[in-house]
Amino acid sequence: MLYDLIPHIINGLALGLLFALLALGFMLIIGVMEVINLAHGSLFALGAYIALVVMTPDGGLPFAFMQPYYDLPVIPRYIIALIVGPIVVGVVGMGLEICLRRTYGKDPLYGLLLTFGAAMVLEEGIREIWGSSEYALPIPRGISGGFIAGDLIYSNYRIYAAIFSAAMIGVLWVFLNKTPYGAVIKAGAHDSEMVRALGYNLKRLRLYVFAFGAALAAIAGIIMAPIWGIRPVVGVDAVVPAFVVIVLGGVGSFWGSVSAGILVGLVVGLTAAFLTDWSLLSMYLLLLAVVTFRARGLAGKASVLEA
Amino acid sequence: MAITRRKFLKNTALAGAAGGAAFMGPWKHNRVHAAGSAKPIKIGLTHDASGQFANSGQAEKRGTIMAIQEANEKGGVLGRQVEYVWMDTETNPQTGTRVAERMITRENVHFLAGAIQSGTANAISQVAQKYGCVYFNTNSSSPTESGKNCHRVKFVWDGNGENFARAAARNAINAFGKNWMLIYNDYVWGQNTNAATKKVAVGYGAGVVDEVAVPVGTRDWSSILLKIQQAKPDVVAAAVGGDDFKVMRQQVKDMGLDSKPAWINNQQDWPDVYGLGADAAFGVFGTTWYHYLDAPGVGDFVKAYQTRYPTTRINVPGNVTYNGYVAMRELLRVVEEVGSTDNLKVIKALEGRKMSAADRMQHHDAYIDPNSHHVQQTIYLAEGNKAPRDKSDYFKILSSSDPESIRASADGVCGLESYADTPSYDQG
Repeated sequence: MLYDLIPHIINGLALGLLFALLALGFMLIIGVMEVINLAHGSLFALGAYIALVVMTPDGGLPFAFMQPYYDLPVIPRYIIALIVGPIVVGVVGMGLEICLRRTYGKDPLYGLLLTFGAAMVLEEGIREIWGSSEYALPIPRGISGGFIAGDLIYSNYRIYAAIFSAAMIGVLWVFLNKTPYGAVIKAGAHDSEMVRALGYNLKRLRLYVFAFGAALAAIAGIIMAPIWGIRPVVGVDAVVPAFVVIVLGGVGSFWGSVSAGILVGLVVGLTAAFLTDWSLLSMYLLLLAVVTFRARGLAGKASVLEA
Repeated sequence: MAITRRKFLKNTALAGAAGGAAFMGPWKHNRVHAAGSAKPIKIGLTHDASGQFANSGQAEKRGTIMAIQEANEKGGVLGRQVEYVWMDTETNPQTGTRVAERMITRENVHFLAGAIQSGTANAISQVAQKYGCVYFNTNSSSPTESGKNCHRVKFVWDGNGENFARAAARNAINAFGKNWMLIYNDYVWGQNTNAATKKVAVGYGAGVVDEVAVPVGTRDWSSILLKIQQAKPDVVAAAVGGDDFKVMRQQVKDMGLDSKPAWINNQQDWPDVYGLGADAAFGVFGTTWYHYLDAPGVGDFVKAYQTRYPTTRINVPGNVTYNGYVAMRELLRVVEEVGSTDNLKVIKALEGRKMSAADRMQHHDAYIDPNSHHVQQTIYLAEGNKAPRDKSDYFKILSSSDPESIRASADGVCGLESYADTPSYDQG
């Protein structure tokens, strides 16, 4: 029994790291700006589509002059996609933040509605440009296929995605805790007025944080694309677990989100293995159970960004 | 644009009048209008544009519209133009109900057509039966659609899950083994297709090692794929559809499980594989039609589609578009033949109707079963094509089954409402 359980625990951990990656940008924006960015999923999807454009002529740039570029090996195109995708989506995030400015200081419902509207616009825009059909993102051969572990085969890409997610979590933690920029962002989350009083440009800080959060959504979209596929509604698939993870972890808590992501991954993974028809429900039952006994989530502290 | 108070009041009054008109509208089910009028024949198209089956919904819409346009180019039907009104059914039964009600009571459509998801098709057909409006379920393939959920007004044009299972099961047991694992989407089509597959497979001597119900919307299949590996089945029979199928396929391939165990994927809809290459068509699966079938008229149909839809990303028609097209073409032919849009006349002409293989671009003659209203047709067994003739040639057709050899037992439980219990319906 235990022997049967081990692969599912490892798989749950890998899945959990992906859920944590999914929630990072969401957590950053809600932690610093107290805006529930419902467009997070659409930014995630846009990242995947931009990567598609960068990696293959199927993505919508079938111009002849692009062909030499598309003839490059997959690895450089993949690396370029991981750079260009977040930059483009970050710029879109900046545009969204500018639209959001009029809602600051007002009922949070305004921000919620605006980002919901933005999500609709982005999804329909994606449908208009790329259509409703499914696309597949090519990946380098070295991280595709499966490897054999005992009697089982497991996906190389999953291992890569889990390691990438862990690395992203580490990089973000270092950025927030060991750099002056991170210190300003954290200070902005604790007390934005004080940050302004100290001479920092709060407007610019919010703009960059939103762009950074959107870029993280795009990175998650690119990493998840080979697992979930690329289609206009893929953002909806992303925003729901991301929301669950940040509420479960405690709104604005970095390690709360990471640990909640891993917890959700383990619960969903193990439930899918043994009670498959309960697998989706298990995530919401976990949320219900935690929020019932600890409304702030696992590590929530009055909506500030913790280290 | 600013809305002035006057404009607001005017719009409110108009909306109120429209709502009132619908509220005060004809209550009786016998909706007989002046016959012989030259007003267009109006078809209500209930195709998904959002939700799990958005892509397939738009593919069948292209097929139904193509048949309507062809009829109009030949002078119309009964000397009248054919119009259509389309509303997005959102892959959602509640929306299907609302759309069908609106189509019938406000749009005054003569007929309804369109469905991918069986739950939505069932919802639409309940409304259609209430009013007596003839409804063509073009593409949803739960055995219940022409079984326990059949209706006098409903005609089911796709092969169902049991047809496909019958076409595949015996061959799969002989070729791959008797230990089967069943996975299915936990909703009406998945449940009923799985039940039919199980019945057929067990009937041919297979043993079921496990059955796994997978919630609709599942995006991570890794745990389920590990579970499959631990169970070590010879064959996995999957009744998984729409976006769930696409995600499953992606992850099966990614994990390298697409060749062992053997996969039977019931039916593979063309919009779900198009653009992904032959590798996406893994396992053995069924289909009702393929654009490289060696049958009369296939090439002409493909050319006509490409002429009509030159910029559509899916630039060759597949089974979903085909089903929409032949269903609508047959409906319009029958209306012309009976000389009326009266529902009972049309229903009686459709019941038992024979359609030649050549006309339907298939290999065996087809007919509409008068007791279940299910189109009995050729089912093809296929697999991914390792030697494609071009980049659209994903499928390798392995065999074709004639309708009698794969006839679904589920059709036998259908109890159609009597003619007397079916409201007469004619929008004139």
